[in-house]
Amino acid sequence: MSRGAPAVRGRQEVWDAIVVGSGITGGWAAKELTELGLRTLVLEAGPMIVPERDYTEHVPPYRMPYRGWNDRKALAAEQPVQRECYACDELGRKFFVNDIENPYTTPDDKPFLWIRGRQVGGRSIMWARQSYRLSDLDFEANARDGIGVDWPIRYADLAPWYSYVEEFVGISGQIEGLPQVPDGVFLPPMEMTCVENAVREVIARDFGDTRMMTIGRTAVLTRDHKGRSACHYCGPCHRGCRTRSYFNSLNATLPAAEATGRMTLRPDSVVHSVIWDPARGRVTGVRVIDRQSGEDLEFFGEIVMLGASALESTRILLNSTSADFPDGLANSSGVLGRYLMDHTMSTGAKARFPGWENHGYTGVRPNGIYIPRFRNVTEPSPDFLRGYGYQGWSTRQGWSRGLDMPGFGAEYKRRLTAPGVWEFELGAFGECLPREENYVELDPERVDAWGIPALRVHCEWSDNERVMMRDSADRAAEMLEAGGGVDVQLLTDLTAPGLTIHEMGTARMGRDPATSVLNGFNQAWDAPNLFVIDGAAMPSSACQNPSLTYMALTARACHYALQAKNRGEL
Amino acid sequence: MRRRRALEVLGAVAGAPLLVPGSAVAQALALGQRIRAEAGPVGGAPPATLSPAQARAVTALAEVIIPRTDTPGASEAGVTEFVDALLTGWLDAPDRDRFLAGLDEVDATARTAHGTDFADCTPTQQTGLVTRLDEDLDRRRQDPGEDETRTFFYDMKRFTLAGYFTSRPGLRALGYRIIPGAFEGCVHLDPYGTGERRRDGGQP
Repeated sequence: MSRGAPAVRGRQEVWDAIVVGSGITGGWAAKELTELGLRTLVLEAGPMIVPERDYTEHVPPYRMPYRGWNDRKALAAEQPVQRECYACDELGRKFFVNDIENPYTTPDDKPFLWIRGRQVGGRSIMWARQSYRLSDLDFEANARDGIGVDWPIRYADLAPWYSYVEEFVGISGQIEGLPQVPDGVFLPPMEMTCVENAVREVIARDFGDTRMMTIGRTAVLTRDHKGRSACHYCGPCHRGCRTRSYFNSLNATLPAAEATGRMTLRPDSVVHSVIWDPARGRVTGVRVIDRQSGEDLEFFGEIVMLGASALESTRILLNSTSADFPDGLANSSGVLGRYLMDHTMSTGAKARFPGWENHGYTGVRPNGIYIPRFRNVTEPSPDFLRGYGYQGWSTRQGWSRGLDMPGFGAEYKRRLTAPGVWEFELGAFGECLPREENYVELDPERVDAWGIPALRVHCEWSDNERVMMRDSADRAAEMLEAGGGVDVQLLTDLTAPGLTIHEMGTARMGRDPATSVLNGFNQAWDAPNLFVIDGAAMPSSACQNPSLTYMALTARACHYALQAKNRGEL
Repeated sequence: MRRRRALEVLGAVAGAPLLVPGSAVAQALALGQRIRAEAGPVGGAPPATLSPAQARAVTALAEVIIPRTDTPGASEAGVTEFVDALLTGWLDAPDRDRFLAGLDEVDATARTAHGTDFADCTPTQQTGLVTRLDEDLDRRRQDPGEDETRTFFYDMKRFTLAGYFTSRPGLRALGYRIIPGAFEGCVHLDPYGTGERRRDGGQP
């Protein structure tokens, strides 16, 4: 991939567009803007990633010094936050930031885990790939409940853009006709295991009026697609994919942008702030600190799109102060940084399924099953608003069960070499309400390794989330039990916000400039040529994994931006 | 998908493939993948932390826990090198010292009982000594007032299991393939271990 000519100080080139970030939304903006004919500069804070050199998904455990048990001392010293993410493992940890170089603060009683990736491709390299559409149940939720601000768009506005991005991304899934999680453009679905099939049938029989189980919808190819190979089921997607079988920026969107000849990609470019021209009432570019040299640089563009991740984009805006915007650029509403949300995770249930010992599976499925939201869809709840969906999977226990077994020797070895009992776990992802009290601000003291003010994050779950997630444990248990599960175990401990890595909402879109940062096209009310295309734009969180929605919103925003530019509005 | 916990410490190998289609290698080649086939543990380098006597004890203990059968045992799989790597760079100092003290105690017990280091005991003597260690571990496991994970033999057992089952021979025994090539969700496993499989409607 071309790094282009790294622009240097004093070079006064004005790009048609500048995209900040090369993750899942930055990659899409790069693709769309360049394909629409715009000469686009893509700025990425982290280093270049070369798949053939940097991906490690096929390194077997015996070639890792700690066999997958991680370099725990290095993690403790350099990545005490990032290590909380399962993907920050012995080989995958290079795709996660150094927490010492990239500090943030929280109040002592409000832990927040901010999991970040700074490299070309961003967190799209390590994302978990689950891809679900939102529906009008979600887009109308705030208006219906009188919470937060109404989404300025409805499903009909976004549906064609969902199809547009799905067609390029390649998402495997099963058509189901559900109103709350609309069908998309799907590649063939992956298979369920024997136990999953059995539980699916019981759910249909016993709960079928309101609940169902489908195979996960995932951005992994089940057949060759647009020059990328079908999945070979090796397992560790979070370490990359040389066959480009799952979607990320490096595998798909950035090569498409590169192919236009109109993209210049500049890694190692830490964006400090956006430059505001008070005379024109427009942004003119961005200030950058070179990651390696520490040099201050400026880049100029007619359009600036921030896709640095919800909190990073928000941080850039908060750090972009001027006489017009003393509290952060595009913040005349005062809501910039507020209404931070993440999805709840880690509650549900798990059980064992005896009787299936003669059944197994081949390969490692990079996907699980999905039980779409039913609470406050078809099953009203008097106790909480909104709802949750379950992701789950069944596997047979492996050799590590031997730690809880007495014994040693040949028979012990023989038993552990065979697969153990089936286990099936359902884990709920729950909607988080937008609350003003959950917010980020610039820390008055801490700065990062480039001297840029760190964020101070104030975030905690509310009672609605807690009550909902307790319900998710009980409902999961009843389904597993009905399906034949034994030793059903409730999972009721919520992880700290942030760890789901669906943080969003801090520069929300809305219908009113007084109460929102962006309009329905991700365009800043206060600066027409400034767009925020990542999760910051979300007025509510729904309970579906959000990346697909970010991609659809980004593609839509790019096409709108070109039209607005051509109308002379930018 | 729901973020997996590292069930098996291998992370994504948690759902290690049980059986692999015969075409896996062909598919891998078709994918242009070069499967590295070098040996896992490198022999020859002296241990960095274990003394020669301690290394002999680790090797002998690991081989009792996971012995050579029709497949290689822990010793051949390089468990001693793995344990040394853990002691050198992975364990915190108190845990490392507890392990080394426990190891020395095994030899001391062997000398008292049998007049020789553990590694030089007869197989029957070794089995007897490990039986006592394992029974003690199990007693602690059953006792709510005890934390069995803070014992030498718990560490010895988990290091042996991990070292063996993440080695090339251990993974081969599990049926692990780097590139399975396909996911078949519901297959019938031959209970007699002949390696045959067939597509299955999923009746238990």
